[in-house]
Amino acid sequence: MTRTNLGPWIVTYAALAAMAAYNLAPFLWMLTSSFKTDMEVTQIPATILPHSFTADAYVRIFAQEGFLKYFLNSAKVSGATAILSATVGIFAAYGFSRFEFRGRTVLIAAFLASQMLPGVLLVGPYFRLLSTAGLYDTHLGLILAQTSITLPFTVWMLKGYIDTIPVEIEQAAMIDGASRLQCLWYCILPNILPGLVATMVFAFLLAWGDLLWALCLITDPDKQTMTLGITNLVGQFRVLWSDVMAATVIGCTIPACFYLLLQRYLVQGSAGSAVKG
Amino acid sequence: MRGETTTPYWFVAPAAIMLVVILGFPAVTAILESAGLGGKTGFPDFRAYGRLFTDPQFGATALNTVIFVGVVVTMHVVIGMAIALLLNLEMPGRWLFRVIAILPWTMPDVIGGLIFRFIFDTLSGGVNAVLLRTGLMAQPYDWLGHPHWSLFAVIMAEVWRGYPYVMLILLAGLQAVPRDQYEAAAIDGAGRIRTFVSITLPNLRTVLIIAVVLDIVWETRLFGMIYGMTGGGPGYATQNLSLFVYKNYFQFFETTYASSIAVVLAAVLLAAAMPYLRLTLRRQD
Amino acid sequence: MWTNFRHLGLAAAVTGLLAGAAPARAEDITLTYSDWQLAQTVWGRSLQEAFTEFQAENPGIKIRTEPVPLAQRDVRFTTAIRAGRGPDVFALDANPVRQYVAEGWVRDLTSYIAKEGPEYLKDFYPKTLEPVTVGGKTWGIPKNTVAMVMVYNERLYKQAGIAAPPATWEEFREVAAKLTGKDRWAFTLVLAPAGFDLRVSSVFRSFGADFLTPDWKHSAVNTPEMRKAFNYVLDMIASGVVPPGVAQVDANGARRLLANEQIAMAIDSTWTLPEVSDMNPKLDGWNVLKMAPIPVPAGTNPKVRTTLYEKSLFINKNTPHPDAAWKLIKFMTDDKRMRKWFDDNAMLSTRISVNQGYDKIAKADYANLVAGQIAEGDFLPLIPEWPEIQETFRQNLQAAVAGTKTRDQALTDAHTAIEAILARNPSK
Repeated sequence: MTRTNLGPWIVTYAALAAMAAYNLAPFLWMLTSSFKTDMEVTQIPATILPHSFTADAYVRIFAQEGFLKYFLNSAKVSGATAILSATVGIFAAYGFSRFEFRGRTVLIAAFLASQMLPGVLLVGPYFRLLSTAGLYDTHLGLILAQTSITLPFTVWMLKGYIDTIPVEIEQAAMIDGASRLQCLWYCILPNILPGLVATMVFAFLLAWGDLLWALCLITDPDKQTMTLGITNLVGQFRVLWSDVMAATVIGCTIPACFYLLLQRYLVQGSAGSAVKG
Repeated sequence: MRGETTTPYWFVAPAAIMLVVILGFPAVTAILESAGLGGKTGFPDFRAYGRLFTDPQFGATALNTVIFVGVVVTMHVVIGMAIALLLNLEMPGRWLFRVIAILPWTMPDVIGGLIFRFIFDTLSGGVNAVLLRTGLMAQPYDWLGHPHWSLFAVIMAEVWRGYPYVMLILLAGLQAVPRDQYEAAAIDGAGRIRTFVSITLPNLRTVLIIAVVLDIVWETRLFGMIYGMTGGGPGYATQNLSLFVYKNYFQFFETTYASSIAVVLAAVLLAAAMPYLRLTLRRQD
Repeated sequence: MWTNFRHLGLAAAVTGLLAGAAPARAEDITLTYSDWQLAQTVWGRSLQEAFTEFQAENPGIKIRTEPVPLAQRDVRFTTAIRAGRGPDVFALDANPVRQYVAEGWVRDLTSYIAKEGPEYLKDFYPKTLEPVTVGGKTWGIPKNTVAMVMVYNERLYKQAGIAAPPATWEEFREVAAKLTGKDRWAFTLVLAPAGFDLRVSSVFRSFGADFLTPDWKHSAVNTPEMRKAFNYVLDMIASGVVPPGVAQVDANGARRLLANEQIAMAIDSTWTLPEVSDMNPKLDGWNVLKMAPIPVPAGTNPKVRTTLYEKSLFINKNTPHPDAAWKLIKFMTDDKRMRKWFDDNAMLSTRISVNQGYDKIAKADYANLVAGQIAEGDFLPLIPEWPEIQETFRQNLQAAVAGTKTRDQALTDAHTAIEAILARNPSK
């Protein structure tokens, strides 16, 4: 009995191992490069493992280049974007999903259409807006910008997830006297937890990896995000490759930790079986 | 329900207001700029649109964009679906694989491009180092200098970086597939593929369409990876429309032309996406 | 008495302007200065020291520095200035200056210069004033300038038995062959965007070719000189004296190759010495690296044989403190600071008196050589369309290198495209 059941598991783990190798390959390169000296990183022929192992790059980025501040700034902006975008988004998604109203199609098409223009064109006029509102060079301005970029995507995504919840649950709740808001909080939210996680991760990562908006909207070096900090390492006369690699490695690990905490909610909800019973 | 005529608007209002205020003004400005308004003269000037037809770079760049988006999104869906299915299974150590699965997506925009350029570097890059060491190649190859291999490299890099997006959307969608449907299929003796086609796919339909459409929009706008990796080169073999807009706007200061390219791009995308979006808007029963 | 009135007036004006700013004395003006070199270790420290001195000499003015990555500099500046903001004082290299002036983003400095007296501008090389002078008015002050030269590794030369750097491109061929070996090449070109402008144009110019006609109204890409230069460069790549993957090499990559002793020579300038020496201390760069003029074809003597680099300072049109900004610019380009830029960063100045009079420059061979080459070099065409023209040419050159176009096709396409770009904006 055990032998016949083991086959599929071996295949599964083998496939997952292949995925892990595929995903991790560039990171391995980055990791090994971050522990090399600047000279060895660009050496010809290239070495794979560091010949002279050094953690100088990591020391430098925190001690000299001030990356702790940049990581904190990025975390603050990205976290706020994730929360704000998901919050505003879920209200709109609920509205689009559960109601037929005039202008529904036009509005939701407009939502998506706003994303089809490249950010390059939107930065300038948005900057003007921020400047008038006195939000220039503030984290709040950047958060608002990132939120509005992610919003159409979060609304669309959340709407898709809310659509999968049968309406009957809320109808039953409303017969019992629940308001729409209570429906949203008690009936919908618990059942779209996986979708909410996916949406928040999306919004977080989008803000985390952004360069263009942070570049234009933030000039105070103390408020810089991690992406700006890394780009500053590419100078006019040389590139500090091991520092770039070290900062990027850490820059990718932080969101991964964030995801680690959230991924436990990516599990089967109870909505599927609740209705039929 | 009765008495709920204004309720939907309350729900939708915060997002709509944010978008109108924050993106609406810039979007309209951009469109106006593309028609030459807001410039020196007060009259609309559609010459920029005319230039689109005569500029050989525009045609080649548009073709690159189509190829790039087509291949990348397809691979994203294929790989994303496969991995989502795997990560949906209950198994020990799943959390570790789930976290690894998301890692490529954490690479930032332009910086990811720089790092991949380094990885594909002819003499000191990882790709050639591994190929040479394992004996698969005798001489280092100039991946990013070749017009077709550079496009291949850029596509591969973006496939790697972006597939977790689709994977995550699908994984979340998979959680909502009713378990009793799977149980019923198992009782009926359906095989894995049959179950996938008849149970999983139909339940994922909406989410899948949304994932594909959003990914297409996302990949069309993307230019950071390409900018960092090749800058559009060699020649303009890897240049896509988004990068073309960027160059025209910030390097050549041709803001009107850049805006017109962007507006055409947005219009084409919207026209192509609308029928599919309509599908997701139909009321579920 | 007048001083008191002035202080009162200044205090009132500034208090109004600074509503909501960080706590400061009422008379303090904060100037923002943005420069891509602020993020670099040595240059950044050098600039900060200068600012500390400035603030000590001008107690009412505070300087806030805003580093910006070089590749994204124009993105940030143009977005901010278009929206009515931006740093009060900023630096630019020569490439986008005409664009900034044409768009009206920098302040006209003519009146400030007039107040300094007629001798003020005479100390600057006339050539260095060309990029910042439009319509008879001066829009910026040039700070540093260098000419492109051939930097070579004397130790590798001696190892290969080469006595002197090649003076002609024909000699170059022989020298390069001797210097190429296993995992080592003679030379590299810079075909990636970052650094292409200075390094490839200087090679073409040494052949007597150029991108545009001297009046900048037409393309000069179809001249026999350009054809000869183009073919020479492509032959060079094909012959293997440059590393494979040369189309991806940018200026930073070239310096890396030089530092790792993977190439024996490169086209660069005075900054190579401090930078490369720092990248690889074992190289002993200050003693091993030497400079020579870029070779020319035998028997020719082109009038313009190299390209000049320039970094200049500008005042933002939108600034609320133009007077303070002018003080800062004057300070950063005065005699004492020019000497400091050379001491700290091996950067030559745009002031004739400093380049010729400062003993440290006179004693340094490389500095002497580069300063001498300034007279034999020129800037890239000073027109707003230049960035687009350059990018077109670079793309066609890369296409020829990659083999997607034949050499003739690439040149013809470049010529046609450049003519089309120039025809778009005929008014000059």
